[in-house]
Amino acid sequence: MADHAKVAVDAVSLEIFRSSLSAIAEEMGAVLTRSSYSPNIKERRDFSCALFDIKGRMIAQAAHIPVHLGSMPDSVATALAEFDSFAPGDVIAINDPFGGGTHLPDITLISPIFVGDDHFGFAANRAHHADVGGMSAGSMPVATEIYQEGVIIPPIKLWEGGEPNRAALALVLRNVRTPDERRGDLAAQVAANRTAERRILELVERSGRERVDAHIDELINYAERMTRATIEGIPDGVYEFTDYLDDDGVTDEPIAIKASVTVSGGEMTVDFTGSDPEARGSINAVASVARSAVYYIVRCLMPDEAPSNAGTFAPVTVIAPAGTVVNANPPRPVAGGNVETSQRITDTVFGALAKALPDVIPAASQGTMNNVTAGGIDHRTGQPFAYYETMGGGMGARNGLDGLSGVHVHMSNTLNTPVEAFEFAYPMRISEYRLRDGSGGTGAARGGDGLVREISFQVPTEVTLLSERRRIQPWGAQGGEPGQCGENVLIRDGQETQLGGKKTVNVEPGDRLSIRSPGGGGWGKKR
Amino acid sequence: MLVGVDTGGTFTDFVVQDGAQLRVHKVLSTPDDPARAILQGLDELGVTSARALIHGSTVATNAVLEQKGARTALVTTAGFRDVLEIARQTRPSLYDLRVERDPPLVPRDLRFEVTERLDERGNVLTALDHGSVSAAVNAAKDAGVESVAVCLLFSFANSEHERAVTEALRAVGLSASASHEVLPEFREYERTSTVVLNAYVAPLMDRYLGNLERSLPEETPLRIMQSNGGSISAAVARSEAARTLLSGPAAGAVGAAYVAEASGFTQTISFDMGGTSSDVALIDGDLIETTDGRVGGHPSRLPMIDIHTVGAGGGSIAWFDAGGALKVGPYSAGASPGPAAYGQGGTEATVTDANVVLGRLSAEDFLGGGMDLDVEAARKAVGSVADRLGTSQEDAALGIARVTNANMEAAIRVISVEKGHDPRGFALVAFGGAGPLHACELAMAMQIPRVIVPATPGVLSAYGMLAADLRKDYVQTIMLGPDDDTSGIEPLFEQLSEQGQREILAEGVEADRIEIEPYLDMRYRGQSYELTVPWTGSIYEARNAFHAAHQLRFGYSDPDEPVQIVNARVKSFGRADRPEIPRSPFDSETAASPDRARDVVFAGSNGAETRKTGIYDRDNLPAGARFDGPAIVTQYDTTTVLPPGWSALLDEAGNLVAEPVEGGRTDG
Repeated sequence: MADHAKVAVDAVSLEIFRSSLSAIAEEMGAVLTRSSYSPNIKERRDFSCALFDIKGRMIAQAAHIPVHLGSMPDSVATALAEFDSFAPGDVIAINDPFGGGTHLPDITLISPIFVGDDHFGFAANRAHHADVGGMSAGSMPVATEIYQEGVIIPPIKLWEGGEPNRAALALVLRNVRTPDERRGDLAAQVAANRTAERRILELVERSGRERVDAHIDELINYAERMTRATIEGIPDGVYEFTDYLDDDGVTDEPIAIKASVTVSGGEMTVDFTGSDPEARGSINAVASVARSAVYYIVRCLMPDEAPSNAGTFAPVTVIAPAGTVVNANPPRPVAGGNVETSQRITDTVFGALAKALPDVIPAASQGTMNNVTAGGIDHRTGQPFAYYETMGGGMGARNGLDGLSGVHVHMSNTLNTPVEAFEFAYPMRISEYRLRDGSGGTGAARGGDGLVREISFQVPTEVTLLSERRRIQPWGAQGGEPGQCGENVLIRDGQETQLGGKKTVNVEPGDRLSIRSPGGGGWGKKR
Repeated sequence: MLVGVDTGGTFTDFVVQDGAQLRVHKVLSTPDDPARAILQGLDELGVTSARALIHGSTVATNAVLEQKGARTALVTTAGFRDVLEIARQTRPSLYDLRVERDPPLVPRDLRFEVTERLDERGNVLTALDHGSVSAAVNAAKDAGVESVAVCLLFSFANSEHERAVTEALRAVGLSASASHEVLPEFREYERTSTVVLNAYVAPLMDRYLGNLERSLPEETPLRIMQSNGGSISAAVARSEAARTLLSGPAAGAVGAAYVAEASGFTQTISFDMGGTSSDVALIDGDLIETTDGRVGGHPSRLPMIDIHTVGAGGGSIAWFDAGGALKVGPYSAGASPGPAAYGQGGTEATVTDANVVLGRLSAEDFLGGGMDLDVEAARKAVGSVADRLGTSQEDAALGIARVTNANMEAAIRVISVEKGHDPRGFALVAFGGAGPLHACELAMAMQIPRVIVPATPGVLSAYGMLAADLRKDYVQTIMLGPDDDTSGIEPLFEQLSEQGQREILAEGVEADRIEIEPYLDMRYRGQSYELTVPWTGSIYEARNAFHAAHQLRFGYSDPDEPVQIVNARVKSFGRADRPEIPRSPFDSETAASPDRARDVVFAGSNGAETRKTGIYDRDNLPAGARFDGPAIVTQYDTTTVLPPGWSALLDEAGNLVAEPVEGGRTDG
């Protein structure tokens, strides 16, 4: 197994290096979770941490958020292309979705790692900030251009040689609604990268640079072998499926996503040719999001212990034609591509693979993250507040196993905000939080039920909903029934109004908003 | 006379302190009725009465893990009965298409709602509807439940509604656990889960401890270990049973801290490696605590020793994954068939088999020579790993040991570096059947400078029980912003301290042995993880302590940032009259000579090297005995491996203290 003339890599040292490197990525996550400010990061853990070598190859990624699987490497590639040189203490910030980002609230910080004078590689982490400006609080608006979605940060050195770039920092912070929170979150992100730098230094001191480099190469080969072995377990063939987004929030037309999955030996190609053109509304995905969704599916088919690095997805090719809803061009709005369209891409590719692996692939899950953002002035403090949260729903049923109820599915796994934390933090109350009975599709195995979460407002508040599966139900598999669609209902003076899936509304004190998330599809014919 | 009794899965361990004399005993556990083994052991030890019997029980833990607790109902605020089931809306595993969740301990048809609502400051938004209370009480009674948990929103800020519901339940003869009594702390899911755990196990503990108390010798007070490392009277444990859920591992960490302190080491990492799993905990002067604990999939926010468990131990199986890397665990050969070396039909290579192939475990001293080891079977099992690796059996066995140590290293990193502690400043206290086999090589890999193997590594949990203080914890969420009036803090601490004083006095502790420690949980405004700092009576000092703690833990702090005070905590201790650790002072070190020698394999610069290695029987080593590695120290229930380049001293406290003599070689 030893490809390196001087350094022996074997099955034992491989496992030990894997363990060391993944421990570093995990420790970055621990630092970020505990020291960040916004509930998004610390309570909901909406972030990812990864290590890269000097060529920008991902070495290790902590398993935090699947939608970042394919896109973190793109951020680092962008930074490498933008800058000729890096110095210790530099921190590159980036959130441009058209340059390796996902959507604007996800800010990635990349720090070069130096071992003495030698540039070793990079530590990077990405966190979802509660607000990055733009036309509505929480920066997940129903927009028609990316400029409405918030401040765009191209790759810039936000810190240089350890010193903050005050002008750039001031410019960014002046364009967001809650600058103090942002500053705190960015500091936590820097701390996470610093931790990684310290640990890499220790690893190199302990094992020697040559030995570390040899093991990184072999770890990447190792991950690729695992993926090939997984794909070889899928029957060769071409499998096709089309699924639909409800609409783009601007018009009512459904939007098709078409996937053609070709499995040949140890390689897989997923081709989205034939998907609908990019949309006016904010449900466009960028190519890195489409890749992440495909990578997530491959990862689900692999064994638990599989590593995430540059080799993991080498045998997988994703074709996402530019100008389609899975690879939009600037300046299309993309806030929802990351959170909503990524889920539909997942449904589509799973739908295709269900033809190859009918017993393995579950029915469609809720297929949305039910994004809610809200902002206004907190009457208790006189200060502005910005709230963002996503909601779980029904998981699709599995062969012989019901889907889970009230959980995040596929591309997300963020925590809810506790009711008691929510009411301390925001001038809003939760009046009801329960499982949505009977919303899962029936079948030999039942789809999981969605959730009902009802918010009542105490001050005038601008609320934006970005949600899916409000018109088109999550599909059942192998004869199972589909799950129920979700609903967003405004209750004012006892009158209920259906708001649809994507909408910004101004609510008044006493108004209530009931968000009812979709159920999962059933699996197999009900006997 | 003091008696510590630890009920484990296989053995029930006893440590008896009688004056300066310590006695150790083991009997086979009796899982159908754990009290039987306890009574048998006491009988065999000739214990007729004791100043106290301190007991670590697995009754509550097993009830939760096996879902065999009491039939329990839950009463919540209207609209929130599903909070227990929704939990934090996450799935336990990100990429597992067949992921499952532990079912809630209270099924939906036993979750009842009452109409009422408070705001975050405890003001009444909706008055308690007494009709809904009667309906819930009747429904619970009709459903034939044995126990009821009550958790209403914001009851920590105003317990009036919750108290009324609880009283109504108790009035009809139902056993009720109320969240404002068990854990008056915000975050409704974690509070609900904690109070449900309590309601679910309290009736079982009540019966078990009631029976045990009746069967014990007269005048022998029974005290129960808690997850926080302290003990409490059986009477309290019967109603606050959730506090005992993880008491066994906690007692092991207390024991480790106690014996290490006797040798002058207060910064230690306890490392308990058993057959299927290993527990690690960090002691930085005091045992590190957490309120982020879990029993099975169920969170408990009650303070507990921060113990991290990893699914690898002596029985763990070595295997290759699809990419060709060598893995150890979490699959285990268990007790049956057990490792191949046990000769009961096991064929897969385990960690124990690797240690047999390396000559580190030998039939002549395994369990005092009381159990045969099948060396050929172990070689055959490890041989199949060697074939795949293309190496010798010895190199394969070394590989299995190194991967095992990498698992342990990952576990130690979680409790040390991830929490801001550098393990290079700590001593590793190794115990359990397999801990001392791996400790020195693990320490080398992590640059931990010292390993301590206690005198009684097989019964350290029971030993820790003797050293445990009596303890009660109190918490109250207050949630004060930087501009809020803080004049209520001192009166609140007075009230909690008075309660702590009173309840520890009621345990029969003399007033001069009671210590009250007040703390505040604080965070920067907007954060949602708190750090706990001591309360000295000054908000200013508390804030400074918080900034310093944040700096230590996370590498940065910002004195200009507004700080929130989230919870007030009080720990009330009844300091234990700790048994004297017998000391054998010596004038000068003496070079020990081995009892015998055999070939043992160690990692050399070019792979496995076989070294003629001295074997020392621990019972024959006098205090002050000094010897160098390579060496093996054997005793009844554990074996210590001292690699080449290490030196060990049996110190006057009876601990074997091992250190590298030259710069520890790197590994990995």
